[in-house]
Amino acid sequence: MQVLQFIVQGRGGQGAQKAGEILANIFFSEGKYVQAYATYGGARRGTPVSSFIRVDDKPIRLRCNIENPDVILVFDPSLLNETLLKGAGEKTLVVINSTQAPEEFAALGKFKIFTIDGMAIAQANRLGRIVNSALVGAVTGLLGQPDIDLVAKVVGETSPVKVEENINSCLDGYRMAREGRVLNA
Amino acid sequence: MSGERILVNGNHAAAYGVRLARPMVVPVYPITPQTPIVEKISEFQAEGQMEVELVTAESEHSAMSACITASLTGVRVFTATASQGLMLMHEMLHYASGARAPIVMVNVNRTIGSPWGFWPDQTDSLAQRDTGWIQYYCESGQESLDTILQAFRVAEKVLLPAMVVHEAFYVSHSLEVVEVPAQELADQFLPPFTPPHRLDPEIKESWGNTVNQDMFYRHRKTLGEAMDNALAAAKEADADYRALVGRGYGIIEEYRCDNPEIIIATMGSMTGTAREAVDELRAEGLAVGLLKVKLFRPFPLKDVRRALTGVPKVVVLDRNFAPGTGGFLHQEMKAALYGMSDGPEVHGYLAGVGGTNIPPAKIKDMVREALAEKAAAEPVWKG
Repeated sequence: MQVLQFIVQGRGGQGAQKAGEILANIFFSEGKYVQAYATYGGARRGTPVSSFIRVDDKPIRLRCNIENPDVILVFDPSLLNETLLKGAGEKTLVVINSTQAPEEFAALGKFKIFTIDGMAIAQANRLGRIVNSALVGAVTGLLGQPDIDLVAKVVGETSPVKVEENINSCLDGYRMAREGRVLNA
Repeated sequence: MSGERILVNGNHAAAYGVRLARPMVVPVYPITPQTPIVEKISEFQAEGQMEVELVTAESEHSAMSACITASLTGVRVFTATASQGLMLMHEMLHYASGARAPIVMVNVNRTIGSPWGFWPDQTDSLAQRDTGWIQYYCESGQESLDTILQAFRVAEKVLLPAMVVHEAFYVSHSLEVVEVPAQELADQFLPPFTPPHRLDPEIKESWGNTVNQDMFYRHRKTLGEAMDNALAAAKEADADYRALVGRGYGIIEEYRCDNPEIIIATMGSMTGTAREAVDELRAEGLAVGLLKVKLFRPFPLKDVRRALTGVPKVVVLDRNFAPGTGGFLHQEMKAALYGMSDGPEVHGYLAGVGGTNIPPAKIKDMVREALAEKAAAEPVWKG
């Protein structure tokens, strides 16, 4: 396996850092080497927060920023800007938490674009505004790895409360990603 | 006996190393980005996984003072700090080495104000290079964990304090896969600390009395000899650790240094990124190697000279800066290599100062530039 690199972009308080940790734990549980870090120092509630994850079969030696991500997961369409997308290419999968169709974001560039209404999934599962389990489910569904049973197990283990609700939210996100349509795929 | 594999950040990895070393006293004062180390130690204590006296001091100066007095009673002592905290400790750093207190401290490299920042930059610890502390620079949480155990063994053998250093953010706050050795192995490697001299009412010894010039002269000379002895002690500790645990690092590491046209020399987290650059350049047909300087104090002069004998060029990458002279490793390398008839031309590049991002592509460009140009006497700013 080639190194797999993720950028998760959210706003302080939305759970982007937590989503990064869950993804890191999922791949660690699969036996992979993982490196994950998040924006640090000046982050405040409401300000943009980034989480970065590298996954590989061998130990990860790089200690620098992720410049060419394979996946960009965005918690809020207002965060989609040039700085975030500058390293994205045709093979980059951009997953956007939005009620809109992927075509609405076609002007951003020729990326593989998928949209998912994380808030609707969260509310259907009585999680209020907590969307990270749904989004993590969607990303792993689109990647087709790791196995969904492992993903659901780790989401459960890393949920401090409402374990069943988070697992169901993750499974819903996963299912929608498997059944959904990716623009430019 | 294989260890437990866990996913933790570099600071928590360091805390696991501390737990394995079984210190009895840990005086602390919190500071970003070090705090997760002492938080984790506090958790270990609360869960009954560590029997330790945690002393919350009112400043870093007081924390180091507490470290010194606790250490002189003959117990193992650990603390951790960063940046401004290390600056406030400065007076007591000299005192600790003068008192021959084998404290082990982790410093998380962070920019020093002003202006304010939280970024990886090694200037804080390198500015303490003359305080009489042993200094190790680590590139990963795993290396910090392993090095803490080695540092205690070396410090307690030569009776000098030791600093284990890793950088903010890329190491301190990066989750990574770490193997924690079994406690039995750690105990075998690091037996309890039982110094013959200690502050003990039964023994009736004292420390730090006023001395005359000749006694001070002898004291400094002895301290210097202890520091010299730390070189062999560090090599031995690393070899023993490798034999026992299966991981070793050397006091320097030569990575792909077979018949090189140029060698990159650096310390800390940039070493990891430089390995990728070396592999890519080798694949492109360029004979490039990497010299990692892990032990910075005492400076491994002979090892560095041997590693660079007959090498045409060395390009030193410094994520640190001393205004008026340049990069610390650049200065040390020039001094170490001076007078060699078959030594390399030395290029000094300031790269990553203030925590800027240095990806492999940037390192590759710097290597190509150093190959094409004649070395300047001054350091060159490279972003």
